[in-house]
Amino acid sequence: MRRKQFTALLVIGTMILGTLSGCSKGTAANGNSSKEDGGIKEFTAFFAVPGNEINDDNEIQQHIAEITGARVKETWLTGQTAEEAVGTLIAGGEYPDFICGSDGTSQLYDAGALVPLDDYIDDYPNIKNFFTKLEWDQLRQDDGHIYWIPQFNNSYGKEMATTHNDEAFWIQTRVLKWAGYPKITTMDEYFDLIERYQEANPTMEDGTKNIPYTILCDDWRYFCLENAPLFLDGYANDGSCIVDPETKKVIDYNTTPTAKRYFQKLNEEFKKGIVDPESFTQIYDEYIAKLSTGRVLGMIDQWWDFYGNVNDALKQQGLEDQGCNYVPLPITIDKGVKNRWHTSGDTLNVGSGLSITVSCKDVRGALKFVDDLLSEEVITLRNWGEKDVDYLVDQDGLFYRTPEIRMKVSNTAYKASHLCPYSYFPIWTGMSQDGINAAKPELQPNEFLDSLPKNVQECLQAYGCKTYVDMVGQNEIPGPWYPIYTFVGTMTTATPGGTAWIKMRELKHEYLPKVVMAPDFEAGWEEYLSAYETCNPQAFLDEVQPEVDRRIKIAEEAAAK
Amino acid sequence: MAPIGKVKKESINWKEIKKQRVLLLLSAGYVLYGFIFCYLPLAGWLMAFENYKPKEGFFHSEFIGLGKFRQLFLDDGFIKVIRNTLAMGVINLVTTMVTAIVFAILLNEVKSQGGKKVVQTISYLPHFLSWIIVTGILHDALSGTGIVNDLLVRFHLLKEPLNFFAYPKYFWWIVAFANVWKETGWNAIIYLASITAIDTSLYEAAAIDGAGRWARIKYITLPGIKPTIIILLLMNAGNVLNAGFEVQYLLGNGLVQSVSQTIDIYVLKWGISQGDYSLGTAAGIFKSVVSIAIILIANEMAKRAGEERLF
Repeated sequence: MRRKQFTALLVIGTMILGTLSGCSKGTAANGNSSKEDGGIKEFTAFFAVPGNEINDDNEIQQHIAEITGARVKETWLTGQTAEEAVGTLIAGGEYPDFICGSDGTSQLYDAGALVPLDDYIDDYPNIKNFFTKLEWDQLRQDDGHIYWIPQFNNSYGKEMATTHNDEAFWIQTRVLKWAGYPKITTMDEYFDLIERYQEANPTMEDGTKNIPYTILCDDWRYFCLENAPLFLDGYANDGSCIVDPETKKVIDYNTTPTAKRYFQKLNEEFKKGIVDPESFTQIYDEYIAKLSTGRVLGMIDQWWDFYGNVNDALKQQGLEDQGCNYVPLPITIDKGVKNRWHTSGDTLNVGSGLSITVSCKDVRGALKFVDDLLSEEVITLRNWGEKDVDYLVDQDGLFYRTPEIRMKVSNTAYKASHLCPYSYFPIWTGMSQDGINAAKPELQPNEFLDSLPKNVQECLQAYGCKTYVDMVGQNEIPGPWYPIYTFVGTMTTATPGGTAWIKMRELKHEYLPKVVMAPDFEAGWEEYLSAYETCNPQAFLDEVQPEVDRRIKIAEEAAAK
Repeated sequence: MAPIGKVKKESINWKEIKKQRVLLLLSAGYVLYGFIFCYLPLAGWLMAFENYKPKEGFFHSEFIGLGKFRQLFLDDGFIKVIRNTLAMGVINLVTTMVTAIVFAILLNEVKSQGGKKVVQTISYLPHFLSWIIVTGILHDALSGTGIVNDLLVRFHLLKEPLNFFAYPKYFWWIVAFANVWKETGWNAIIYLASITAIDTSLYEAAAIDGAGRWARIKYITLPGIKPTIIILLLMNAGNVLNAGFEVQYLLGNGLVQSVSQTIDIYVLKWGISQGDYSLGTAAGIFKSVVSIAIILIANEMAKRAGEERLF
């Protein structure tokens, strides 16, 4: 009897111990870091932006691991906002080795989750040379340390702008072709063209009904609805408000006369059935699916938000021949207002970047990996792929692709099994370090032209343009504060301005769609205005203005030196 | 069941413990589980009373007493989410219970054993789908080009497709429908089980006395499962404030946010997204306290009515 009892106790005891040790093992593996695997270090990374995960046995990733001695398992945002994902990580207190917090970066900083990098940077030449001293200084937080490395918009050699990687009124080339490539510069002309086209061609070639104009309004992506008034008035993309380049004053674009005209136009078009009735209830995936069928004639969006999935889908389905690709138009509210949809030059986003977290056990190893990723050999692998497989080299050393290769690299399965861009690690754009080639295929002048779908080539030619950028024109960066959204992204509910900003966003998300759908526009607009005032937008503007002044002052001081 | 006669109250002695040692050992695991996962985390409630900052941690954050609760109740947004949560909770509770009971009784009346089994299996399958799939189907079915609009337009009930998700007035009912579709079959199982427990001789006797089907349902089946209904009602009443998170989160959009957001979404939005963990915890505490209160009140009411009760 005794013995039996003892055995039972023993069994239960071991079970409990087993569970406990299982727990502790689990945590160790989570907060993991470089566990050696055949000499190759394994790191983890989380990027608080949507992305496509690649296969574990990805070929180029393996190749890069052989060169650098490290591999990173990347995970991306799915079905959450950046703040939610980051907030959950903070609440748990365990982080991946690398992180890009996107909109949640300031939360990570506040939580003390990031490792200060400034003591290390000098030891890694490729990282050090990624920015100038002034740029590194701009990245210092209020405690004087540098916590993240912005990954993008950093041109090596000269800038090679071919795509308008920003927001615009986009339109399918078939619409422009049908109308004989007219000059379209105002919002009224744009919608008029779409209306006329839709009346003449209500369906696609296979009989699918066109959707004349759709508006993405899902979560944070509702910028496709709300920030057009800023651009229509001819200001550059400061994001959350207008900063007047003349007076250096912050202006709210949500209630301007232009805003009213823009929403009134949308309201009219909604009633006419031009605006997709599902605009405000569709989710991002549904929106991308719609665009991928080639049914949507036009929309406002950021190029990076749609081109990857949509252009590849159009190519794979042969819809390029029907003229379903999108080009940007230089739209403003009235003739004579100069458009600033595109700004040239590198805009440093000081608000977020790649960070290393306090859970990383091998900070030096992680930084060495980032450093190696910036070497010429690896950059070429990341951007172009494998030589003779994903690109060919002509006798002058210029890289190019054949139509077969282009078709192959736009295939989703191939992208997952073969290509490995490590796209949220710092990356040079502009020129390659060999001095001959552009950093990326889409920036290589001959490759860019050859890879353009025929309908886009034709369209650009008709307008006398060589690139997407030529369609909307180049503009200088308006001033040293630009873009101010990098500051607004760091505002939190700790200040009245930050709270106001969150309330404004939430309110606009509900009321602006209502305004567009309102049977009586004037009444709907009045309702919106009075509700908007309750958010106390002035508190928000009052907190942005000092930051604009501060940035101008820093730039002036640096110039004086 | 109410005890029959008086039970002699025995003091527990070692002999008794020894006799039940296997049972005690078996339950030890569950007690431990409950302690670790249900009681230990309660220490985190402390966060609601301080201005918690992850960097400063638990012990160095500033203590602010009831400040966060004050902030909570001064926020119109919070009052709105309480309303939404209660409304959806009650609608869900009533609709899912009624449909499950009706479904169980109907199924019980089916004479063919094979047919009954097939229907039962099919009807509880949706229970095993995750909400992300169910909401995906629903989003598709109710969209402008979805099957529901297609049917309504073809039968001339509507002139033009109606975008169901654009109008706040439909939202609660869509959520209720989703719950009913997903859970009716599953919830019916327990009622079916309790119907089978009813003595068949009662039915035979009633049939001899001339009771028809309807009368048998009314006078035998329903009273027979009444204790089960009351117990489940009591247990679910405590869940009213758990009106859901995934459904509303996945089906909601900007236009309906004023009716779609529940307390859980509020906690996620302010507690996690905006990093105000204290406010989120305060909202969570409020929810737990109200849930406990609802259970206690419902239990007391059941007791007064002389019905079955939880404790």
